[in-house]
Amino acid sequence: MSPGRRWWAWPRELRRRGVLGLNGRNGEYVLPHNRRGHYPRVDDKALTKRICESKGIPVPKTYALVERYGDLARLPEMLDSQRQFVVKPARGSEGRGIVVVADHDGNTFSTAGGRTLTLADLRYHLSTVLSGLYSLGGQPDRAIVEQRIVRHPAFETVAVGGTPDIRIILYRTVPVMAMLRLPTAASRGRANLHQGAVAAGVDLRTGRTFGGVCQGRAVSEHPDTGASIDGLMVPCWDRLLAAAMDLAEAVELGYVGVDFVLDSTVGPVVLEANARPGLGIQVANRRGLVPRLEFLDRQPEAMFRGELRHELIARLAEL
Amino acid sequence: MAALVIAGALGVALRASGRRELHLLDGDSVWRLTYDVRFDVERPGARIRVALPADTPHSRVFRQDVSYSDLTAERMRPSRSESRELSLSAVRAGEYRIVARLDLHLCREARWQPNGPVGPLRADDRAQALRATPTIQVNSPAVENTLRSLRNAPGRSADLVHALFEFCAFELEPGGDTAPDDAAGALETGRAGPLGRVRAFVALCRASKMAARLVTGFEIRETAGLRPHTWAEVLVGEAWVPYDPENGYSGEMPHRFVPVRRDGVEIVHTSGARDLEASYALMRLPPGSGPWASRPRHVLDILDLTRLPLEVHQVLSLILLLPLGALVTSVFRTMIGIRTFGTFTPALIALSFVFADWRTGVLVFAAVLALGLASRSLLERLKLLMVPRLSVVLTLVVLSIVFLVSVLDYYGLTPSAQAVLLPMVILTMTVERFYVTTEEDGVRFALQLLGGTVLVAFCCFLVLCWNRVGRMLLAYPELHLFTLAALVLVGRYTGYRLSELWRFRDLAGPGSEDRRA
Repeated sequence: MSPGRRWWAWPRELRRRGVLGLNGRNGEYVLPHNRRGHYPRVDDKALTKRICESKGIPVPKTYALVERYGDLARLPEMLDSQRQFVVKPARGSEGRGIVVVADHDGNTFSTAGGRTLTLADLRYHLSTVLSGLYSLGGQPDRAIVEQRIVRHPAFETVAVGGTPDIRIILYRTVPVMAMLRLPTAASRGRANLHQGAVAAGVDLRTGRTFGGVCQGRAVSEHPDTGASIDGLMVPCWDRLLAAAMDLAEAVELGYVGVDFVLDSTVGPVVLEANARPGLGIQVANRRGLVPRLEFLDRQPEAMFRGELRHELIARLAEL
Repeated sequence: MAALVIAGALGVALRASGRRELHLLDGDSVWRLTYDVRFDVERPGARIRVALPADTPHSRVFRQDVSYSDLTAERMRPSRSESRELSLSAVRAGEYRIVARLDLHLCREARWQPNGPVGPLRADDRAQALRATPTIQVNSPAVENTLRSLRNAPGRSADLVHALFEFCAFELEPGGDTAPDDAAGALETGRAGPLGRVRAFVALCRASKMAARLVTGFEIRETAGLRPHTWAEVLVGEAWVPYDPENGYSGEMPHRFVPVRRDGVEIVHTSGARDLEASYALMRLPPGSGPWASRPRHVLDILDLTRLPLEVHQVLSLILLLPLGALVTSVFRTMIGIRTFGTFTPALIALSFVFADWRTGVLVFAAVLALGLASRSLLERLKLLMVPRLSVVLTLVVLSIVFLVSVLDYYGLTPSAQAVLLPMVILTMTVERFYVTTEEDGVRFALQLLGGTVLVAFCCFLVLCWNRVGRMLLAYPELHLFTLAALVLVGRYTGYRLSELWRFRDLAGPGSEDRRA
């Protein structure tokens, strides 16, 4: 399915397709529906995790929270009990500053990407995290040391060098669009679209993928393996949707993106949430967000509670 | 937003009508002094220093328009000798022309207090005001003989000055054009032209250990063929007291004499240029054609930025242009969708390019970025914490700027050794961001950001170079209410960015119609 490739679209065409632009997202959804004071709940992953834990939403187990440079001295004992772990900045964005350790003997650490780090390297990395190199706005940060997710076998053939994740955008706590993001060789194991990951839209009712996007262009195959990214089933879809809705309610943000990864034993776990989720999801789904958002705005307030939302989801998926 | 526009229009209208209503007080007059200077340059690097009228209690330049195509200007500043000077240099050989239009407000009563240096004279200034020159031969026998013949009379220095003044004013015969115009010649022959007379006076003062200097300026009156006139100033106590032996004024000059060059007889001074031709003209302007400070002081004057000294004008108008730079940045970011390093980095870089010479600026900017990146990648091995690491980069940036300016000056590549005041912290952050972006998102994306930064900086530069608008903003700062309105408009724009027409191109057209699993 390769439409006559064009270099640009007319604004009129995009409007007709209901495509949401960055200015529209910020001006009409993020600014009016997301209270600034609630941003830390999603910007700080340590806080997001705490909220999730209190609501019973599954998240990767936290092994340690490194808050001070002084904590770095105790690093070996902190890591002693776990062979595999992930280090990530609490306020990082776009997957920056994340180190996945696949194995270690206390002195040398081998990452999932195949690099080998010494204890000093790891300590330096943690200190750059604390100094805020990866954090939004460069403020001092905390580092989370957490459980490494064991990849769910579902996407074995289509994930290259990393863990796939599922992004759901919720408007007024109702999921409006979802996509499955798969790392590629170009994205260096990260599942971020602008770094070259490939994404497929996900049908909200069934959890089945369709369509796809890579490097901003519509695709249907994984660029590295050539495997089709069409018609894949996301396991435990209903649990995933329920968790997303619970989290959106808990963080009290009207327009929010929630990222999940699938653990082979636990199923969907929340990785992070985002108050300004990207718009590439529209390309992955081959449709604009605006009709769905406007549909929800026309619904009575009562529909946004509990199980009634599933009815909305079913009708949204038709749009 | 409508309120902003209305307020802006109201403010401009009020001010404009207020200006029309201002009248000159009796005895005040408004003049236009024009310099027309032509010269040839054979080798690049020639320097031209144009002295501009100084403000006195009785006169004030309220508008200034100097055109000097192809010459590079250093910022105007009062020089050490209290002359207001425009320093220019020629980058290439050829013919040049400078035209300066200076509008003066002349007032019979002392109305202004020009801020000159106060306090005792510095030692080197004093030495300067006592030195011998080829035309003021302090140590020549003629000067000593004259002094000896006058010696018997005065004891106090004030009396001595007066005796010297009377001697030069009345004892030296007027000699027309053929008379010597240097001090020794005039004293030997007893005949003096206008310059010879005043130089003789200065030489006699200096030989008596009194600091004295020449002052060249213009007499503001209706005249054909305006020529500079030179008189003298003698330091009495802590004040410079004027003496004009040619016209016979002592102790005080009539208010219509406006000093231009202190410690010199040339209005336009060149080094390395040939065939200098300078002509001057004065024209009386109709009353009401400008000076809006012709009333007694009023607290509302605070709103009038044009009453500030001219040196401040340039800086202020540049600062006033900065919001337009921000507007340009906003349009680029939210309507076109070009990404840059840092939000206001492009605007600030453009601002620094306007301050210095832009060619030098670009050169230094590129070199500093390259050096900064090279050193940043070396630094990576040291594994430094962020703040110290940034400080190291800042130090290196500062050092490279300083030495680059020095290198440029050494090879004569830059018209002036004037420090290129690039925003160093901004540069440091740009180096850091560029490096981190290269590492994390690849060189391509980093270069994309750099390209965006350069493009936006270039557009900001074009806006900031807009002198006329800057001057207009200085006269009508309330115009920025329109800028605010425009910013609100841009801020409320929720349509697509230009870049999104490209980004979402696959969502348009029939090829992407429904395809569902």
